[in-house]
Amino acid sequence: MEDVFNYAPAIALFPLVAFVVALTFGKYMPKKGALAGIIATGGSLALSVLMLVAVASGEVYHETLYQWAIGDAASEIGADGIEFTFGILIDPLAALMLVIVSLIAFLVHIFSLGYMNAEGETGLPRYYASLGLFTFSMLAFVYADNLLMAFMFFELVGLCSYLLIGFWFRTRSAPSAAKKAFLVTRFGDYFFLLGVVAIAATFGTVAFAGDNSFVAAAESAIDNGDTLFGFGAETWVTITALLVLGGVIGKSAQFPLHTWLPDAMEGPTTVSALIHAATMVAAGVYLVARMFGYYALSPTALAIIAFVGGFTALFAATMGVVKDDIKQVLAYSTISQYGYMMLGLGVGGYVAGVFHLMNHAFFKALLFLGAGAVIVLMHHEQDMWKMGGLKDKAPITYYTFLAGALALAGIIPFSGFWSKDEILYDALIVGLEEPVILAAYAMALVAVFFTGFYTFRMVFLTFHGEPRSEAAEDPHDIGWSIKAPLVVLGVLALVAGIANLAPVAKLAHIDITFLEHWLDGEYGAVEGLTYSAYGELLAFETAYIGGEQLTVLIAAGVSLLLAFSGAGLAWKLYSVPEPVAHKERLGGARQTLESNYYQDEYQVWLAEGFTQPLARAADRFDQTVIDGVVNSVSTASLFSSSRLKRIQTGLVTNYAALLVAGFIGLLLVLGYVGGWFL
Amino acid sequence: MTVGVEHYVLLSMALFAIGLFGILTRRNALMFLMSVELMLNAANINLIAFAFYHGNLSGQVFALFTMALAAAEVAVGLGIILLLYRNFRDVDVTVPTTMRW
Amino acid sequence: MMIEALIAVALVGAFVTFVAPNRIAGKLAFAISLIPAGLSLWMFSAFDGSGNALLDGELAFASEFEWIQFGEYSISWLVGLDGISMPLVVLTTILSSLAIVSSWTPIDERESQFYGLVLFIEANLIGVFAALDFFVWFIFWEAVLIPMYLLIGIWGGPRRKYAAIKFFVYTNVASLVMFGAFIALVFGLGDVTTFALPDVTTAMLNGGPDGFLGIGGTTLASLVFVAMFLGFAVKVPIVPFHTWLPDAHVEAPTPASVLLAGVLLKMGTYALLRFNFTMFPTEVIEPFVIPIAAIAVISVIYGAMLALAQTDLKRIVAYSSVSSMGYVILGLIAYTQFGVGGATFQMVSHGLISGLMFMAVGVIYNATHTRMVTDMSGMADRMPVAVGILVAGAFGYMGLPLMSGFFGEFTIFFGAFGAEGLAYSQVFTALAMFGIVIVAGYLLFALQRTVFGPYHLETDYDVDRAPLHDIAPMFVLLGLIILLGVAPELIFEMITDAVDPILETGGEL
Repeated sequence: MEDVFNYAPAIALFPLVAFVVALTFGKYMPKKGALAGIIATGGSLALSVLMLVAVASGEVYHETLYQWAIGDAASEIGADGIEFTFGILIDPLAALMLVIVSLIAFLVHIFSLGYMNAEGETGLPRYYASLGLFTFSMLAFVYADNLLMAFMFFELVGLCSYLLIGFWFRTRSAPSAAKKAFLVTRFGDYFFLLGVVAIAATFGTVAFAGDNSFVAAAESAIDNGDTLFGFGAETWVTITALLVLGGVIGKSAQFPLHTWLPDAMEGPTTVSALIHAATMVAAGVYLVARMFGYYALSPTALAIIAFVGGFTALFAATMGVVKDDIKQVLAYSTISQYGYMMLGLGVGGYVAGVFHLMNHAFFKALLFLGAGAVIVLMHHEQDMWKMGGLKDKAPITYYTFLAGALALAGIIPFSGFWSKDEILYDALIVGLEEPVILAAYAMALVAVFFTGFYTFRMVFLTFHGEPRSEAAEDPHDIGWSIKAPLVVLGVLALVAGIANLAPVAKLAHIDITFLEHWLDGEYGAVEGLTYSAYGELLAFETAYIGGEQLTVLIAAGVSLLLAFSGAGLAWKLYSVPEPVAHKERLGGARQTLESNYYQDEYQVWLAEGFTQPLARAADRFDQTVIDGVVNSVSTASLFSSSRLKRIQTGLVTNYAALLVAGFIGLLLVLGYVGGWFL
Repeated sequence: MTVGVEHYVLLSMALFAIGLFGILTRRNALMFLMSVELMLNAANINLIAFAFYHGNLSGQVFALFTMALAAAEVAVGLGIILLLYRNFRDVDVTVPTTMRW
Repeated sequence: MMIEALIAVALVGAFVTFVAPNRIAGKLAFAISLIPAGLSLWMFSAFDGSGNALLDGELAFASEFEWIQFGEYSISWLVGLDGISMPLVVLTTILSSLAIVSSWTPIDERESQFYGLVLFIEANLIGVFAALDFFVWFIFWEAVLIPMYLLIGIWGGPRRKYAAIKFFVYTNVASLVMFGAFIALVFGLGDVTTFALPDVTTAMLNGGPDGFLGIGGTTLASLVFVAMFLGFAVKVPIVPFHTWLPDAHVEAPTPASVLLAGVLLKMGTYALLRFNFTMFPTEVIEPFVIPIAAIAVISVIYGAMLALAQTDLKRIVAYSSVSSMGYVILGLIAYTQFGVGGATFQMVSHGLISGLMFMAVGVIYNATHTRMVTDMSGMADRMPVAVGILVAGAFGYMGLPLMSGFFGEFTIFFGAFGAEGLAYSQVFTALAMFGIVIVAGYLLFALQRTVFGPYHLETDYDVDRAPLHDIAPMFVLLGLIILLGVAPELIFEMITDAVDPILETGGEL
């Protein structure tokens, strides 16, 4: 099986080729570049599965392939050279993520045939080229073996996101949303880059794994009690970890940098499914998982991750409650779900976080693609109040969407329940010892209720009741290319939970936590990148409420209860033939929620109300003061010369007099210097 | 009996001062030219006197050069004065002021 | 004799083009410019130098002979390349060729004179980067100004006279300061009787000047350092000496802008590296480290803020050059291998990227006859390829990974962050790095408003796809930018090889 890793670079390179092909020849190809993309992602998927099998058979791959730059640099811990390289690291985590990304990319490409090609869009070569470039960057990010390479492809997926959000560039809103998405994530990436630079300068390496990884270096620095850049080692690790976290918060749309994601829904729905739900947004969380050993060294950083995650989960879920646009609801739910993952990782629940990452990729891609199908059905109408009654007219869409919704809401036995419950359980047992995490847990728990509510509000408004518009009465046809991906993802949303039935395992004492074993390196793993290795680094204490099994039951029971009551409330309010809005019942909170807690306002104010006036003031200062000085030098010399030139009278006599006066003056000066007058 | 070099210097100084006075006070271009000649000759006296004093001939050679220069200067100067007169009907140097700033 | 050949071809080409008929001048100049471009690429591949030109390095393509002797001082023709100047020479020749092609569309009067002047600039720029004797270098340095002055003053926009005179006088006064300072330094160095830079450097590092005109040796060294820094600061330009740049760029025709931003600004940073940071021992530099780092950070942030306030596309790119040059200064003052090496890399990279940006803006201007952000929108609808390249160039400017800008900026930041000689280096780095957010801000704002959105144009012109000869040079540049971004070692290796001796002889700062 070892040979199979020789093909690992091709996983990312296939889509790169598809990018080039679609960009140059897409115009002339039958499906405008779609075929190239499908073949490439299909190839990537096949190879990724091979990698998964290879890892399952006990092999891992960690190889430096290309040397980008090399040089001397005295690092803080004593190494005196540094290499920046491109390499591939395929361990259980990366192999899993490779399959997820290439699978969803493949499905989205197929879905695009129905969503973009069949709808007669123009600019398709550009679309497929961007998708190809995105898939390339994302896959390369996933198996990057060092932090700098990860950063580079992290930025590149941001570019693709920009291009794809702005796909319909002839509108006013899409370019604006694209700009906002890039700028906000760029703000996060600023901290990330600073973190990369700091880590490289501190440890002289940016490798994720191996003996000379920065994680190992940080661990020994803490053990030795080193002082790094004037800070204690642990403080410095916390600072750099938090700097990197800046990029994570930007990319994974966590509070306060979440504002770009809802706007990003301006892009085609396929793009929302692939980039803004399942993969690119996951890059942030994946990065935390990738360098989890580093975060595990800093309880402070972990607690901050957990708290931000819990807060975001609740914060975004409340906003999702009042949205009327089907994609907006999904966007806020995405933010909220990534909050859960952050919470899971923040409390040390590495397996739980990754598990939810996987499940969420499946069911959220499903929901977005389902929403795409609904949008096609509805002749490109996205307002849920204009829908209704699609249940009977599009059964496949309905049942797959329902599967996704049940998973999202966390209803047993759909996949979302298992992973979300595991996160909440992990948060609870740590929270019993740590008040901050208990607060995060409480917020995430409340968010479960809202999740159930907005999810089923969406389902009922879209599919149930009577049709509320002409489009809903006479839906557009959808083809197999739309249905097939939905079915695949629908099945996954139902069964993916089997991967790690932790509560069952704990209650029934049977060994069915496959994902935990997988991430713990029982098949193959890179040393130090396993769940148990992280466990040893973690400093969190845990506690139970009257024993492990009871805690499991309480955690699962409470979250299920909340999910059902949220869903039930939605059923009561909206599962009627002629549903009406109930927003006025929210009273004063309604305005705040509909305005998204004024988050956009202050960020727009920062950009337009603060930075731009500052820039204009700087410009005025530059034009008047600095350039004014320059111009006044020239004005002054022009003025003085205009005065001085008047001694040029044109009278020979005056010139002669001046000559004589000058001569006498010179004589006097020389005489004075020569000492004649002393 | 030899005359001391200081007498020559005094003579040339007086001559030079007369020439200078002429340039500073007269407005007639011809008087200008004459004054300049006086000054040049003052220089000549100096050159010859010091050459004689040092027993060195190069000063006298320079004096010859100066005379040639003076002749050339007069030729050019008279040409200018002629042009002045043609254009302004006068040889007063304060009249043509078009060359100022 | 390769360098002489390069210069001679460009010079002869300049004269030939000057007398050629207008009709064929553009094509002829391009054909001629391909010779130095090809030659310099061959030289690049055959480059066998090592070490630093000023510090007993092994020079490539060196030649030397006595030129003028006066008193005990002698001036000799001394040229040669090391790892710092080689990439810059290649940049110059390639950018000149491309600039000539990109002027085929916009230049429609006095073509033969225009292209002749461009070739003349090229010859002098090669001279600036290759000369290693102060007087020879200074002649080339000054001779660059004259053709650029004419290019702006004759083919420029409405305020061309103001801009050309400002450019000329400002940079010339700065040169005077620098020239005087250097001459004083050489006179102060008692036993040096040549103006050859390697000799001066050796003397500077082994004891420094004895004093001149009653000024003591140490004071003289510091004064000369400051004077030369100020002289070059205008050329770079560093805030607050930057105000000639936007005026010159806005008025200059596109190809002149390309050369101005692409190569002329690098003369300043190149000279800073060659003179200020190579010749002077660290004791002299030390007191100025913090002020220079502060000025670098201010250049980055302030330049970016100014760019944010502009509505003229060329002014945006011009001010962002100020910002980018701030990074270079930060890298130089960091005085580490990655800092100085990254700064040198950034000179090349910024030359390519800003050249690309000016060309792209020029192509849009050719079609619309306006550069105002407020006058147009949705240009992507009509000029998809040109806009695609503009977007790619803009992202290059923002430092997108796998494009050369990222490598330059990253290495500078990395080199500066751990710089031991620079107190508070982490703070300076963090502040300067914030420039990458602002640069994204103003470029994305500009893109959003000009190339995206519904198509609209205030001016009365039919916009159609740009001709191939406008697009082709941009493709070449884009290819080079990506090539250097993916494989920076192509030039970074020779750069670090030439940078190392500076840091070794300079010692710990």
